[in-house]
Amino acid sequence: MTVLRSEWLKIHSVRSYRLAIAVAFGGILLGLGLAQMAAEMYESASPAQQARASLAELEEVVLMVPQLSLGILGVLVMTSEYTTGLIRTSLTVVPRRWPMLAGKAAVVGVIGLVTGPAVVFGTHVTCRWVIGDRFSGLYQTAFADKLPLLVALSLTVPAFALLGLGMGAILRSAAGAIALLVGLLYVIPMIVDKFPSPWSEWLGSVMFGALPRQISGDLTTPGVYGTSLPPPVAAGLLACYAVLPVLAGAWLLRRRDA
Amino acid sequence: MVRCGEATPCRTLNRVIELKYLTKRYGATLAVDDLSFTVRPGRVTGFLGPNGAGKSTTMRLILGLAAPTSGEVLVNGRRYASFPRPMREVGALLDANAVHVGRSAYNHLLCLARTNGIGPRRVTAVLHHVGLSDVARKNVGGFSLGMKQRLGIAAALLGDPGVLIFDEPVNGLDPDGIRWIRDLMRSLAAQGRTILLSSHLMSEMALTADSIVMLGRGKLVAEATIEELTARYPSLEDAYLALTASSVQYGAGGPGR
Repeated sequence: MTVLRSEWLKIHSVRSYRLAIAVAFGGILLGLGLAQMAAEMYESASPAQQARASLAELEEVVLMVPQLSLGILGVLVMTSEYTTGLIRTSLTVVPRRWPMLAGKAAVVGVIGLVTGPAVVFGTHVTCRWVIGDRFSGLYQTAFADKLPLLVALSLTVPAFALLGLGMGAILRSAAGAIALLVGLLYVIPMIVDKFPSPWSEWLGSVMFGALPRQISGDLTTPGVYGTSLPPPVAAGLLACYAVLPVLAGAWLLRRRDA
Repeated sequence: MVRCGEATPCRTLNRVIELKYLTKRYGATLAVDDLSFTVRPGRVTGFLGPNGAGKSTTMRLILGLAAPTSGEVLVNGRRYASFPRPMREVGALLDANAVHVGRSAYNHLLCLARTNGIGPRRVTAVLHHVGLSDVARKNVGGFSLGMKQRLGIAAALLGDPGVLIFDEPVNGLDPDGIRWIRDLMRSLAAQGRTILLSSHLMSEMALTADSIVMLGRGKLVAEATIEELTARYPSLEDAYLALTASSVQYGAGGPGR
């Protein structure tokens, strides 16, 4: 509990970390901007074009903002301990070591658990209001039907933040960990998509970005991702993305000299 | 055996750092080689040796930051990592520059204090004690090395520990600061605390320390009081140069290299 208060203060007391959290919330503004652009384009189109017009679900589009900013926050709260040399002081005052990482994981996880739903549901409400009945009533479906997807999308934010923390704990270098995070989210799925079938489908299903739709069972929009995992397996895999790197980082933290 | 009652806390009786056959190997290099000595309370123990002699590694071994290859080191009779509230037992300043530049001095200390259940009132008190009250809310990034040294000393004092370890705390200090550290070390020792202090400034060490532990190539070269050393050599500096030079010769002719 005492370590938790310390780790919360460590994040709260540095302006750049507060900024990362603010940027994550900024995803809602991006959603608002995109929704307004889409509505204006729809209005200026001919009735025939309007009938064929489709729109990606904007909650999923803006999700990269909280994912990346909190993923990078996760990386930095760990790697900054090493770049500043503070890690030695931190481990001297918490010599069992793992409680320090557990404290960071709890704080980063909770920030993600607040930010993720705020951005996803905030964007959803914004889109309902701005898009209205345009795009064949994309944003007129019953809220309950959309709820599983929105929850699954929300949960990717704390998961990605913890993934960043775990990568930071394993690699101890911000550059390496952030490169790996971005690669995992954007680069590797594009490479996997070019693999021969059935590898592209199978590997495409275990990509981080493929998980929320498989968890919710809402597989309407085609993309680079595969769809071969049942919801419980996809949910379990999301938990693994979040937890396993942190556990590996804790194990290494206890073993390595500081 | 001395029994201690409620009025006389036991802590004052066993404020010691004991190194027993401590060895740390990094690949082919022996950073610390079969080192045994005891740092006792009520005096300042100077920790001397050339760069790379193993002083900092020894301090990290004492604090449980590095694991010994063999041997052991006990603080107050226990392994450092076994303390649930280590700040109340041992305070350490290893590197004054190891601070987050974006955090204020007050928050830096409170982050550390919280982990050991120490409150903000104590943080304010130690900031006052080291003379940083006026800049407590300023970001550490703007601090001079001397101010960071004071901040590091404040961090070491947070838990009011009986054992204190300082790695080159006078580096970068102006004459006022050097005088301040000397007086602080003397008064902490006079309170019955155990002080292990490393420095390369021999004349300063001669004024501050009561006894000396000297390393050369990871091995113990000398363990003596200042009086014993200055009786045999013209000055502490001469003692240092003579003793560490011979350690280099032994090392050069020895089986290791």
